[in-house]
Amino acid sequence: MNKLLNRSLNKLLIYAAIVLCCSIPIYYFIFSALLQYELDEHNIILTERAGREDSYLIIVTVTILTVLFSSLLLIGLVLLNRRLSRELWRPFYDSLTKIKDFDLNKHQAVAFTPTDIAEFAELNDNLDKLITSSISAYNQQKKFTENASHELQTPLAIMQSKLDLFLQEENLSSHQHQLIRELSAAVTRTSRINRNLLMLAKIDNKQFEQQEIINLSGLINDLMELLGDHQSDKNIKLETNITQDVSVRANRVLVEVLLQNLFSNAYRHNIQEGRLLIRLDPSTIVIANSGKEALDSDQLFKRFTSVKGSGTGLGLAIVHETCASLRWSVRYAFENQKHYFYVRFI
Amino acid sequence: MKILLIEDEMELAKAISTYLSGEQYRCELACSYDEGMSKMNQYSYDCIILDLTLPGGDGLKILETLKQSGKDDGVIIISARGSLEDRLQGLTIGADDYLSKPFHLSELAARIYAVIRRRQLGSRNLIRQGALMVDVLARIVTVNGYEITLTRREFDLLVYFISNKNKVISKNAIAEHLSGDFADMLDNYDFIYGHIKNLKKKLSEFGGDNYLKTIYGTGYKWEV
Repeated sequence: MNKLLNRSLNKLLIYAAIVLCCSIPIYYFIFSALLQYELDEHNIILTERAGREDSYLIIVTVTILTVLFSSLLLIGLVLLNRRLSRELWRPFYDSLTKIKDFDLNKHQAVAFTPTDIAEFAELNDNLDKLITSSISAYNQQKKFTENASHELQTPLAIMQSKLDLFLQEENLSSHQHQLIRELSAAVTRTSRINRNLLMLAKIDNKQFEQQEIINLSGLINDLMELLGDHQSDKNIKLETNITQDVSVRANRVLVEVLLQNLFSNAYRHNIQEGRLLIRLDPSTIVIANSGKEALDSDQLFKRFTSVKGSGTGLGLAIVHETCASLRWSVRYAFENQKHYFYVRFI
Repeated sequence: MKILLIEDEMELAKAISTYLSGEQYRCELACSYDEGMSKMNQYSYDCIILDLTLPGGDGLKILETLKQSGKDDGVIIISARGSLEDRLQGLTIGADDYLSKPFHLSELAARIYAVIRRRQLGSRNLIRQGALMVDVLARIVTVNGYEITLTRREFDLLVYFISNKNKVISKNAIAEHLSGDFADMLDNYDFIYGHIKNLKKKLSEFGGDNYLKTIYGTGYKWEV
Protein backbone atom coordinates (compact mmCIF):
# COMPACT_ATOMS: atom_id res chain seq x y z
CA MET A 1 0.00 0.00 0.00
CA ASN A 2 1.21 3.50 -0.82
CA LYS A 3 0.88 6.48 1.38
CA LEU A 4 -1.34 9.17 -0.04
CA LEU A 5 1.35 11.88 -0.42
CA ASN A 6 3.96 9.45 -1.78
CA ARG A 7 1.62 8.65 -4.60
CA SER A 8 1.41 12.30 -5.74
CA LEU A 9 5.12 12.79 -5.11
CA ASN A 10 6.05 9.87 -7.36
CA LYS A 11 4.15 11.43 -10.26
CA LEU A 12 5.81 14.79 -9.62
CA LEU A 13 9.25 13.20 -9.52
CA ILE A 14 8.73 11.34 -12.80
CA TYR A 15 7.46 14.48 -14.48
CA ALA A 16 10.44 16.50 -13.24
CA ALA A 17 12.88 13.81 -14.40
CA ILE A 18 11.35 13.68 -17.91
CA VAL A 19 11.42 17.48 -18.28
CA LEU A 20 15.04 17.64 -17.15
CA CYS A 21 16.11 14.79 -19.46
CA CYS A 22 14.41 16.46 -22.41
CA SER A 23 16.16 19.70 -21.58
CA ILE A 24 19.64 18.17 -22.19
CA PRO A 25 19.46 18.05 -26.06
CA ILE A 26 17.72 21.44 -26.15
CA TYR A 27 20.54 23.02 -24.10
CA TYR A 28 23.02 21.32 -26.39
CA PHE A 29 21.50 22.70 -29.58
CA ILE A 30 21.17 26.18 -28.16
CA PHE A 31 24.73 26.26 -26.86
CA SER A 32 26.09 24.84 -30.16
CA ALA A 33 24.15 27.43 -32.15
CA LEU A 34 25.40 30.26 -29.92
CA LEU A 35 28.98 29.02 -30.22
CA GLN A 36 28.70 28.75 -34.00
CA TYR A 37 27.28 32.27 -34.14
CA GLU A 38 30.15 33.68 -32.05
CA LEU A 39 32.75 31.84 -34.15
CA ASP A 40 31.25 33.17 -37.38
CA GLU A 41 31.09 36.71 -35.94
CA HIS A 42 34.77 36.69 -35.13
CA ASN A 43 35.75 34.78 -38.23
CA ILE A 44 37.28 31.95 -36.33
CA ILE A 45 37.53 28.75 -38.19
CA LEU A 46 37.96 25.60 -36.20
CA THR A 47 39.42 22.43 -37.44
CA GLU A 48 36.95 19.58 -37.62
CA ARG A 49 38.61 17.92 -34.65
CA ALA A 50 38.47 21.07 -32.47
CA GLY A 51 34.76 21.45 -33.43
CA ARG A 52 34.05 17.90 -32.32
CA GLU A 53 35.88 18.45 -29.05
CA ASP A 54 33.81 21.57 -28.41
CA SER A 55 30.57 19.69 -28.98
CA TYR A 56 31.65 16.97 -26.60
CA LEU A 57 32.57 19.57 -24.03
CA ILE A 58 29.14 21.16 -24.32
CA ILE A 59 27.36 17.83 -24.02
CA VAL A 60 29.35 16.82 -20.91
CA THR A 61 28.94 20.22 -19.21
CA VAL A 62 25.22 20.41 -19.92
CA THR A 63 24.68 16.84 -18.74
CA ILE A 64 26.63 17.32 -15.50
CA LEU A 65 24.86 20.57 -14.73
CA THR A 66 21.44 19.16 -15.47
CA VAL A 67 22.05 16.07 -13.39
CA LEU A 68 23.37 18.18 -10.54
CA PHE A 69 20.45 20.56 -10.45
CA SER A 70 17.87 17.95 -11.08
CA SER A 71 19.18 15.86 -8.18
CA LEU A 72 19.08 18.97 -6.00
CA LEU A 73 15.53 19.59 -7.11
CA LEU A 74 14.41 16.01 -6.60
CA ILE A 75 16.06 15.58 -3.19
CA GLY A 76 14.57 18.89 -2.13
CA LEU A 77 11.14 17.78 -3.25
CA VAL A 78 11.37 14.50 -1.37
CA LEU A 79 12.56 16.15 1.83
CA LEU A 80 10.00 18.92 1.63
CA ASN A 81 7.25 16.40 0.98
CA ARG A 82 8.28 14.30 3.92
CA ARG A 83 8.23 17.27 6.26
CA LEU A 84 4.99 18.60 4.92
CA SER A 85 3.25 15.31 5.12
CA ARG A 86 4.42 14.76 8.63
CA GLU A 87 3.07 18.10 9.74
CA LEU A 88 -0.05 18.22 7.65
CA TRP A 89 -1.13 14.71 8.44
CA ARG A 90 -0.12 14.63 12.05
CA PRO A 91 -3.70 15.08 13.39
CA PHE A 92 -4.81 12.30 11.07
CA TYR A 93 -2.20 9.81 12.28
CA ASP A 94 -2.90 10.90 15.82
CA SER A 95 -6.58 10.05 15.51
CA LEU A 96 -5.70 6.81 13.73
CA THR A 97 -3.51 5.63 16.63
CA LYS A 98 -6.27 6.43 19.09
CA ILE A 99 -8.87 4.49 17.14
CA LYS A 100 -6.49 1.56 16.86
CA ASP A 101 -6.11 1.49 20.64
CA PHE A 102 -9.84 1.74 21.22
CA ASP A 103 -11.40 -1.29 22.86
CA LEU A 104 -15.16 -1.48 23.33
CA ASN A 105 -14.69 -3.72 26.35
CA LYS A 106 -12.78 -1.05 28.24
CA HIS A 107 -15.71 1.37 28.11
CA GLN A 108 -13.37 4.30 27.55
CA ALA A 109 -14.28 7.07 25.15
CA VAL A 110 -11.51 8.36 22.88
CA ALA A 111 -10.19 11.90 23.49
CA PHE A 112 -9.04 13.30 20.14
CA THR A 113 -6.41 16.07 20.06
CA PRO A 114 -8.01 19.33 18.90
CA THR A 115 -6.86 20.43 15.43
CA ASP A 116 -7.24 23.69 13.48
CA ILE A 117 -7.62 21.92 10.14
CA ALA A 118 -11.29 21.91 9.24
CA GLU A 119 -11.37 18.50 7.52
CA PHE A 120 -9.67 16.72 10.38
CA ALA A 121 -11.74 18.47 13.01
CA GLU A 122 -14.85 17.29 11.21
CA LEU A 123 -13.49 13.76 10.95
CA ASN A 124 -12.71 13.70 14.68
CA ASP A 125 -16.15 15.03 15.57
CA ASN A 126 -17.84 12.30 13.62
CA LEU A 127 -15.56 9.58 14.92
CA ASP A 128 -16.34 10.78 18.40
CA LYS A 129 -20.08 10.54 17.77
CA LEU A 130 -19.70 7.08 16.30
CA ILE A 131 -17.66 5.81 19.25
CA THR A 132 -19.93 7.32 21.86
CA SER A 133 -22.98 5.73 20.30
CA SER A 134 -21.21 2.35 20.03
CA ILE A 135 -20.30 2.47 23.70
CA SER A 136 -23.82 3.32 24.73
CA ALA A 137 -25.33 0.61 22.49
CA TYR A 138 -22.87 -1.90 23.88
CA ASN A 139 -23.68 -0.95 27.47
CA GLN A 140 -27.40 -1.13 26.85
CA GLN A 141 -27.09 -4.56 25.34
CA LYS A 142 -24.94 -5.75 28.24
CA LYS A 143 -27.34 -4.35 30.80
CA PHE A 144 -30.21 -6.02 29.00
CA THR A 145 -28.59 -9.46 29.05
CA GLU A 146 -27.76 -9.07 32.70
CA ASN A 147 -31.22 -7.89 33.72
CA ALA A 148 -32.93 -10.52 31.62
CA SER A 149 -30.94 -13.34 33.16
CA HIS A 150 -31.53 -11.98 36.66
CA GLU A 151 -35.25 -11.78 36.03
CA LEU A 152 -35.29 -15.33 34.70
CA GLN A 153 -33.78 -16.79 37.87
CA THR A 154 -37.01 -16.60 39.85
CA PRO A 155 -39.38 -18.17 37.29
CA LEU A 156 -36.77 -20.86 36.72
CA ALA A 157 -36.64 -21.49 40.45
CA ILE A 158 -40.43 -21.82 40.47
CA MET A 159 -40.40 -24.28 37.56
CA GLN A 160 -37.67 -26.33 39.17
CA SER A 161 -39.37 -26.48 42.56
CA LYS A 162 -42.79 -27.32 41.12
CA LEU A 163 -41.22 -30.17 39.19
CA ASP A 164 -39.54 -31.45 42.33
CA LEU A 165 -42.91 -31.25 44.03
CA PHE A 166 -44.73 -32.96 41.18
CA LEU A 167 -42.33 -35.86 41.56
CA GLN A 168 -43.70 -36.43 45.08
CA GLU A 169 -47.20 -37.22 43.77
CA GLU A 170 -48.37 -40.74 44.54
CA ASN A 171 -49.14 -43.21 41.77
CA LEU A 172 -47.47 -41.48 38.87
CA SER A 173 -47.42 -43.63 35.76
CA SER A 174 -44.18 -44.41 34.01
CA HIS A 175 -45.30 -42.18 31.14
CA GLN A 176 -45.77 -39.31 33.56
CA HIS A 177 -42.36 -40.00 34.99
CA GLN A 178 -40.88 -39.78 31.56
CA LEU A 179 -42.57 -36.42 30.97
CA ILE A 180 -41.19 -35.12 34.26
CA ARG A 181 -37.69 -36.27 33.31
CA GLU A 182 -37.88 -34.54 29.96
CA LEU A 183 -39.24 -31.34 31.45
CA SER A 184 -36.59 -31.47 34.10
CA ALA A 185 -33.82 -31.79 31.53
CA ALA A 186 -35.14 -28.74 29.68
CA VAL A 187 -35.35 -26.68 32.86
CA THR A 188 -31.83 -27.69 33.82
CA ARG A 189 -30.53 -26.70 30.42
CA THR A 190 -32.29 -23.33 30.52
CA SER A 191 -30.87 -22.70 33.99
CA ARG A 192 -27.43 -23.51 32.73
CA ILE A 193 -27.66 -21.16 29.75
CA ASN A 194 -28.93 -18.49 32.08
CA ARG A 195 -26.16 -19.06 34.58
CA ASN A 196 -23.58 -18.87 31.80
CA LEU A 197 -25.03 -15.60 30.51
CA LEU A 198 -24.84 -14.17 34.02
CA MET A 199 -21.26 -15.40 34.26
CA LEU A 200 -20.37 -13.60 31.02
CA ALA A 201 -22.05 -10.43 32.27
CA LYS A 202 -20.07 -10.61 35.51
CA ILE A 203 -16.80 -11.10 33.63
CA ASP A 204 -17.69 -8.09 31.48
CA ASN A 205 -18.39 -6.07 34.60
CA LYS A 206 -14.99 -6.99 35.99
CA GLN A 207 -16.43 -8.56 39.12
CA PHE A 208 -13.55 -10.98 39.45
CA GLU A 209 -10.60 -8.75 40.23
CA GLN A 210 -9.46 -10.28 43.50
CA GLN A 211 -6.28 -12.30 43.07
CA GLU A 212 -4.67 -15.06 45.05
CA ILE A 213 -2.03 -17.75 44.60
CA ILE A 214 -3.64 -20.80 43.04
CA ASN A 215 -2.10 -24.24 42.88
CA LEU A 216 -2.95 -25.18 39.30
CA SER A 217 -1.70 -28.75 39.69
CA GLY A 218 -4.02 -29.30 42.64
CA LEU A 219 -6.97 -27.73 40.88
CA ILE A 220 -6.45 -29.88 37.79
CA ASN A 221 -6.10 -33.03 39.90
CA ASP A 222 -9.39 -32.25 41.66
CA LEU A 223 -11.16 -31.81 38.35
CA MET A 224 -9.68 -35.02 37.02
CA GLU A 225 -11.06 -36.81 40.03
CA LEU A 226 -14.54 -35.48 39.24
CA LEU A 227 -14.03 -36.42 35.62
CA GLY A 228 -12.98 -39.92 36.68
CA ASP A 229 -16.61 -40.54 37.65
CA HIS A 230 -17.67 -40.13 34.05
CA GLN A 231 -14.75 -41.55 32.17
CA SER A 232 -16.18 -45.04 31.94
CA ASP A 233 -19.39 -43.87 30.21
CA LYS A 234 -17.70 -43.39 26.86
CA ASN A 235 -14.71 -45.62 27.59
CA ILE A 236 -12.50 -42.59 27.33
CA LYS A 237 -8.79 -43.16 27.73
CA LEU A 238 -7.30 -40.48 29.93
CA GLU A 239 -3.66 -39.50 29.40
CA THR A 240 -2.18 -37.01 31.80
CA ASN A 241 1.12 -35.33 32.34
CA ILE A 242 0.81 -32.90 35.22
CA THR A 243 3.85 -31.05 36.50
CA GLN A 244 3.41 -30.84 40.26
CA ASP A 245 3.31 -27.59 42.26
CA VAL A 246 2.66 -25.19 39.42
CA SER A 247 1.19 -22.09 40.99
CA VAL A 248 -0.11 -18.90 39.48
CA ARG A 249 -1.46 -15.64 40.85
CA ALA A 250 -4.96 -15.06 39.51
CA ASN A 251 -8.65 -14.94 40.36
CA ARG A 252 -9.82 -18.32 41.63
CA VAL A 253 -13.37 -18.16 40.27
CA LEU A 254 -12.18 -17.33 36.77
CA VAL A 255 -9.56 -20.08 36.72
CA GLU A 256 -12.05 -22.65 38.01
CA VAL A 257 -14.68 -21.64 35.49
CA LEU A 258 -12.12 -21.73 32.69
CA LEU A 259 -10.86 -25.20 33.54
CA GLN A 260 -14.33 -26.63 34.20
CA ASN A 261 -15.47 -25.47 30.79
CA LEU A 262 -12.43 -26.82 28.96
CA PHE A 263 -12.60 -30.15 30.79
CA SER A 264 -16.31 -30.66 30.30
CA ASN A 265 -15.99 -29.70 26.62
CA ALA A 266 -13.24 -32.22 26.07
CA TYR A 267 -15.43 -34.84 27.70
CA ARG A 268 -18.75 -33.97 26.07
CA HIS A 269 -17.42 -33.65 22.56
CA ASN A 270 -15.24 -36.71 22.78
CA ILE A 271 -16.02 -39.74 20.67
CA GLN A 272 -16.69 -43.26 21.97
CA GLU A 273 -13.41 -44.91 22.97
CA GLY A 274 -11.77 -41.56 22.41
CA ARG A 275 -8.74 -40.13 24.13
CA LEU A 276 -8.54 -37.23 26.52
CA LEU A 277 -5.18 -35.61 27.01
CA ILE A 278 -4.36 -33.25 29.86
CA ARG A 279 -0.94 -31.67 30.20
CA LEU A 280 0.34 -29.01 32.56
CA ASP A 281 3.79 -27.51 32.35
CA PRO A 282 5.08 -24.36 34.07
CA SER A 283 3.63 -22.05 31.43
CA THR A 284 0.88 -23.88 29.56
CA ILE A 285 -2.19 -26.04 30.08
CA VAL A 286 -2.98 -28.32 27.16
CA ILE A 287 -6.31 -30.12 26.90
CA ALA A 288 -7.07 -32.31 23.91
CA ASN A 289 -9.76 -34.77 22.90
CA SER A 290 -10.31 -37.05 19.94
CA GLY A 291 -12.43 -35.63 17.16
CA LYS A 292 -13.33 -36.19 13.55
CA GLU A 293 -12.77 -32.86 11.85
CA ALA A 294 -11.33 -29.44 12.62
CA LEU A 295 -13.63 -26.76 14.02
CA ASP A 296 -13.97 -23.31 12.51
CA SER A 297 -11.47 -21.42 14.61
CA ASP A 298 -12.91 -18.02 13.61
CA GLN A 299 -16.34 -18.84 14.98
CA LEU A 300 -15.29 -21.16 17.77
CA PHE A 301 -15.11 -18.66 20.61
CA LYS A 302 -18.21 -16.67 19.70
CA ARG A 303 -21.48 -16.95 21.60
CA PHE A 304 -24.10 -19.40 20.39
CA THR A 305 -22.16 -20.47 17.31
CA SER A 306 -21.38 -24.04 18.24
CA VAL A 307 -24.51 -25.35 19.89
CA LYS A 308 -24.39 -29.10 19.58
CA GLY A 309 -26.65 -31.57 21.32
CA SER A 310 -27.54 -30.29 24.74
CA GLY A 311 -24.75 -27.73 25.08
CA THR A 312 -25.37 -24.12 25.96
CA GLY A 313 -23.31 -22.66 23.12
CA LEU A 314 -21.57 -20.48 25.67
CA GLY A 315 -18.80 -22.71 27.03
CA LEU A 316 -16.04 -21.61 24.70
CA ALA A 317 -17.20 -17.99 24.79
CA ILE A 318 -16.69 -18.19 28.55
CA VAL A 319 -13.27 -19.79 28.00
CA HIS A 320 -12.34 -16.93 25.71
CA GLU A 321 -13.58 -14.18 28.02
CA THR A 322 -12.08 -15.65 31.18
CA CYS A 323 -8.73 -15.93 29.41
CA ALA A 324 -8.99 -12.31 28.25
CA SER A 325 -9.90 -11.22 31.75
CA LEU A 326 -7.00 -13.17 33.27
CA ARG A 327 -4.70 -11.82 30.52
CA TRP A 328 -3.96 -15.40 29.52
CA SER A 329 -4.08 -16.60 25.94
CA VAL A 330 -6.00 -19.52 24.47
CA ARG A 331 -5.33 -21.14 21.11
CA TYR A 332 -7.13 -23.88 19.23
CA ALA A 333 -5.55 -26.39 16.85
CA PHE A 334 -6.60 -29.61 15.19
CA GLU A 335 -3.69 -32.05 15.08
CA ASN A 336 -3.56 -35.84 14.64
CA GLN A 337 -7.35 -36.19 14.75
CA LYS A 338 -7.51 -34.32 18.05
CA HIS A 339 -8.88 -30.95 19.15
CA TYR A 340 -6.18 -29.15 21.11
CA PHE A 341 -6.70 -26.18 23.39
CA TYR A 342 -3.53 -24.47 24.56
CA VAL A 343 -3.86 -22.05 27.46
CA ARG A 344 -0.77 -19.98 28.15
CA PHE A 345 -0.79 -18.45 31.59
CA ILE A 346 2.63 -16.81 31.76
CA MET B 1 -39.08 -28.21 63.99
CA LYS B 2 -39.98 -24.66 63.11
CA ILE B 3 -38.87 -22.95 59.98
CA LEU B 4 -39.48 -19.37 58.86
CA LEU B 5 -39.54 -18.81 55.13
CA ILE B 6 -39.09 -15.18 54.11
CA GLU B 7 -39.80 -15.09 50.38
CA ASP B 8 -41.97 -12.72 48.35
CA GLU B 9 -42.47 -14.97 45.35
CA MET B 10 -45.70 -16.77 46.35
CA GLU B 11 -45.39 -19.72 43.97
CA LEU B 12 -41.89 -20.53 45.10
CA ALA B 13 -42.81 -20.07 48.76
CA LYS B 14 -45.77 -22.42 48.36
CA ALA B 15 -43.61 -25.09 46.73
CA ILE B 16 -40.93 -24.86 49.40
CA SER B 17 -43.36 -25.00 52.29
CA THR B 18 -45.31 -27.91 50.78
CA TYR B 19 -42.10 -29.86 50.32
CA LEU B 20 -40.82 -29.15 53.82
CA SER B 21 -44.12 -29.48 55.69
CA GLY B 22 -44.92 -32.96 56.81
CA GLU B 23 -43.41 -35.14 59.41
CA GLN B 24 -40.25 -33.12 59.93
CA TYR B 25 -40.90 -29.42 59.70
CA ARG B 26 -43.51 -26.78 60.40
CA CYS B 27 -43.16 -23.94 57.96
CA GLU B 28 -44.22 -20.33 58.54
CA LEU B 29 -44.35 -17.85 55.74
CA ALA B 30 -43.48 -14.16 55.54
CA CYS B 31 -43.97 -12.39 52.23
CA SER B 32 -42.34 -9.03 52.86
CA TYR B 33 -39.47 -7.38 54.62
CA ASP B 34 -41.65 -6.00 57.45
CA GLU B 35 -43.47 -9.26 58.03
CA GLY B 36 -40.21 -11.19 58.05
CA MET B 37 -38.60 -8.72 60.42
CA SER B 38 -41.48 -8.83 62.91
CA LYS B 39 -41.79 -12.63 62.89
CA MET B 40 -38.06 -13.00 63.29
CA ASN B 41 -38.15 -10.62 66.28
CA GLN B 42 -41.16 -12.20 68.00
CA TYR B 43 -40.44 -15.89 67.72
CA SER B 44 -37.49 -18.14 67.47
CA TYR B 45 -36.95 -20.68 64.71
CA ASP B 46 -34.70 -23.64 64.08
CA CYS B 47 -33.92 -22.29 60.67
CA ILE B 48 -34.79 -19.17 58.70
CA ILE B 49 -34.80 -19.34 54.90
CA LEU B 50 -34.17 -15.85 53.69
CA ASP B 51 -34.59 -14.30 50.25
CA LEU B 52 -32.53 -11.15 49.75
CA THR B 53 -34.67 -9.10 47.37
CA LEU B 54 -37.86 -8.39 49.27
CA PRO B 55 -40.55 -5.75 48.88
CA GLY B 56 -39.79 -3.12 51.52
CA GLY B 57 -36.13 -3.78 52.13
CA ASP B 58 -32.96 -5.80 51.81
CA GLY B 59 -33.01 -9.29 53.31
CA LEU B 60 -29.45 -8.84 54.53
CA LYS B 61 -30.80 -6.24 57.03
CA ILE B 62 -33.00 -8.91 58.62
CA LEU B 63 -29.93 -11.12 59.00
CA GLU B 64 -27.98 -8.24 60.55
CA THR B 65 -30.76 -7.47 63.03
CA LEU B 66 -31.02 -11.13 63.98
CA LYS B 67 -27.31 -11.36 64.70
CA GLN B 68 -27.26 -8.04 66.60
CA SER B 69 -30.05 -9.18 68.91
CA GLY B 70 -27.98 -12.23 69.77
CA LYS B 71 -30.46 -14.86 68.53
CA ASP B 72 -29.03 -18.07 67.21
CA ASP B 73 -31.60 -19.18 64.64
CA GLY B 74 -29.91 -20.87 61.70
CA VAL B 75 -30.07 -18.86 58.46
CA ILE B 76 -29.90 -20.02 54.86
CA ILE B 77 -29.93 -17.34 52.21
CA ILE B 78 -31.70 -18.13 48.94
CA SER B 79 -31.14 -15.49 46.33
CA ALA B 80 -31.49 -14.74 42.66
CA ARG B 81 -28.67 -12.24 42.90
CA GLY B 82 -26.18 -15.03 43.28
CA SER B 83 -23.17 -12.77 42.96
CA LEU B 84 -20.01 -13.57 44.81
CA GLU B 85 -20.14 -10.40 46.90
CA ASP B 86 -23.65 -11.15 48.14
CA ARG B 87 -22.59 -14.64 49.03
CA LEU B 88 -19.52 -13.48 50.93
CA GLN B 89 -21.37 -10.63 52.62
CA GLY B 90 -24.17 -12.95 53.72
CA LEU B 91 -21.77 -15.50 55.14
CA THR B 92 -19.68 -12.81 56.85
CA ILE B 93 -22.73 -11.36 58.59
CA GLY B 94 -23.50 -14.81 59.90
CA ALA B 95 -25.62 -16.82 57.49
CA ASP B 96 -25.00 -20.56 57.79
CA ASP B 97 -25.37 -21.25 54.11
CA TYR B 98 -26.14 -19.71 50.75
CA LEU B 99 -28.10 -21.22 47.88
CA SER B 100 -28.60 -19.38 44.61
CA LYS B 101 -31.79 -19.73 42.59
CA PRO B 102 -32.79 -21.92 40.88
CA PHE B 103 -32.18 -24.88 43.18
CA HIS B 104 -33.63 -28.32 43.82
CA LEU B 105 -35.96 -28.58 46.80
CA SER B 106 -34.05 -31.66 47.92
CA GLU B 107 -30.86 -29.59 48.00
CA LEU B 108 -32.55 -26.97 50.18
CA ALA B 109 -33.85 -29.70 52.50
CA ALA B 110 -30.35 -31.16 52.80
CA ARG B 111 -28.90 -27.77 53.71
CA ILE B 112 -31.62 -27.13 56.29
CA TYR B 113 -31.04 -30.55 57.80
CA ALA B 114 -27.31 -29.88 58.09
CA VAL B 115 -27.83 -26.44 59.67
CA ILE B 116 -30.32 -27.75 62.23
CA ARG B 117 -28.19 -30.74 63.17
CA ARG B 118 -25.12 -28.57 63.58
CA ARG B 119 -26.98 -26.25 65.92
CA GLN B 120 -28.96 -28.70 67.97
CA LEU B 121 -26.55 -31.44 68.62
CA GLY B 122 -23.28 -29.62 68.74
CA SER B 123 -20.52 -32.12 68.40
CA ARG B 124 -22.67 -35.22 69.04
CA ASN B 125 -24.12 -35.57 65.61
CA LEU B 126 -25.70 -39.00 65.47
CA ILE B 127 -28.48 -40.05 63.15
CA ARG B 128 -30.27 -43.27 64.03
CA GLN B 129 -32.40 -45.11 61.53
CA GLY B 130 -33.34 -48.70 62.40
CA ALA B 131 -30.18 -50.73 62.35
CA LEU B 132 -28.33 -47.82 60.82
CA MET B 133 -26.32 -45.27 62.79
CA VAL B 134 -24.54 -42.33 61.17
CA ASP B 135 -22.05 -40.09 62.91
CA VAL B 136 -22.09 -37.12 60.58
CA LEU B 137 -19.12 -35.32 62.05
CA ALA B 138 -16.78 -38.29 62.34
CA ARG B 139 -18.18 -39.67 59.07
CA ILE B 140 -18.68 -43.12 60.57
CA VAL B 141 -21.55 -45.42 59.60
CA THR B 142 -22.48 -48.55 61.51
CA VAL B 143 -25.06 -51.22 60.62
CA ASN B 144 -26.12 -53.46 63.52
CA GLY B 145 -23.01 -52.32 65.31
CA TYR B 146 -20.66 -53.17 62.45
CA GLU B 147 -18.77 -50.27 61.01
CA ILE B 148 -18.89 -50.04 57.23
CA THR B 149 -16.43 -48.07 55.13
CA LEU B 150 -18.01 -45.67 52.67
CA THR B 151 -16.27 -43.50 50.13
CA ARG B 152 -16.75 -39.75 50.41
CA ARG B 153 -19.37 -39.81 47.66
CA GLU B 154 -21.29 -42.69 49.20
CA PHE B 155 -21.33 -40.99 52.58
CA ASP B 156 -22.56 -37.71 51.08
CA LEU B 157 -25.26 -39.62 49.25
CA LEU B 158 -26.40 -41.38 52.41
CA VAL B 159 -26.75 -38.13 54.37
CA TYR B 160 -28.50 -36.55 51.40
CA PHE B 161 -31.06 -39.36 51.27
CA ILE B 162 -31.64 -39.30 55.01
CA SER B 163 -32.22 -35.55 55.00
CA ASN B 164 -34.83 -36.05 52.28
CA LYS B 165 -36.49 -39.12 53.71
CA ASN B 166 -39.72 -40.27 52.09
CA LYS B 167 -39.18 -37.90 49.18
CA VAL B 168 -38.46 -38.77 45.60
CA ILE B 169 -35.18 -37.17 44.57
CA SER B 170 -34.42 -36.81 40.89
CA LYS B 171 -31.19 -38.09 39.40
CA ASN B 172 -30.02 -34.67 38.30
CA ALA B 173 -30.57 -33.25 41.79
CA ILE B 174 -28.33 -36.01 43.12
CA ALA B 175 -25.69 -35.48 40.44
CA GLU B 176 -25.65 -31.75 41.10
CA HIS B 177 -25.32 -32.39 44.80
CA LEU B 178 -22.33 -34.65 44.25
CA SER B 179 -20.31 -32.67 41.77
CA GLY B 180 -21.93 -29.27 41.57
CA ASP B 181 -21.83 -27.31 38.35
CA PHE B 182 -19.44 -29.75 36.81
CA ALA B 183 -21.93 -32.66 36.69
CA ASP B 184 -24.37 -30.26 35.16
CA MET B 185 -21.94 -29.21 32.47
CA LEU B 186 -21.16 -32.79 31.57
CA ASP B 187 -24.87 -33.39 31.20
CA ASN B 188 -24.51 -36.98 32.23
CA TYR B 189 -26.05 -38.37 35.37
CA ASP B 190 -25.30 -42.02 34.81
CA PHE B 191 -22.28 -41.95 37.10
CA ILE B 192 -24.54 -41.88 40.16
CA TYR B 193 -25.75 -45.43 39.42
CA GLY B 194 -22.37 -46.82 40.39
CA HIS B 195 -22.22 -44.92 43.66
CA ILE B 196 -25.79 -45.87 44.61
CA LYS B 197 -25.27 -49.51 43.73
CA ASN B 198 -22.19 -49.65 45.96
CA LEU B 199 -23.97 -47.85 48.80
CA LYS B 200 -26.88 -50.28 48.67
CA LYS B 201 -24.54 -53.23 48.66
CA LYS B 202 -22.56 -52.00 51.65
CA LEU B 203 -25.68 -51.21 53.67
CA SER B 204 -27.22 -54.63 53.10
CA GLU B 205 -23.97 -56.48 53.81
CA PHE B 206 -24.52 -56.44 57.58
CA GLY B 207 -28.26 -56.82 57.41
CA GLY B 208 -29.29 -53.19 57.03
CA ASP B 209 -32.83 -52.84 55.72
CA ASN B 210 -33.22 -51.72 52.18
CA TYR B 211 -34.52 -48.18 52.61
CA LEU B 212 -33.49 -47.02 49.18
CA LYS B 213 -36.08 -47.46 46.42
CA THR B 214 -35.57 -46.79 42.75
CA ILE B 215 -38.41 -44.78 41.24
CA TYR B 216 -38.69 -45.69 37.55
CA GLY B 217 -35.81 -44.05 35.70
CA THR B 218 -36.43 -40.78 37.44
CA GLY B 219 -34.79 -40.95 40.81
CA TYR B 220 -34.59 -42.51 44.24
CA LYS B 221 -36.51 -42.48 47.48
CA TRP B 222 -35.29 -43.20 51.01
CA GLU B 223 -38.32 -44.84 52.57
CA VAL B 224 -38.65 -45.08 56.33
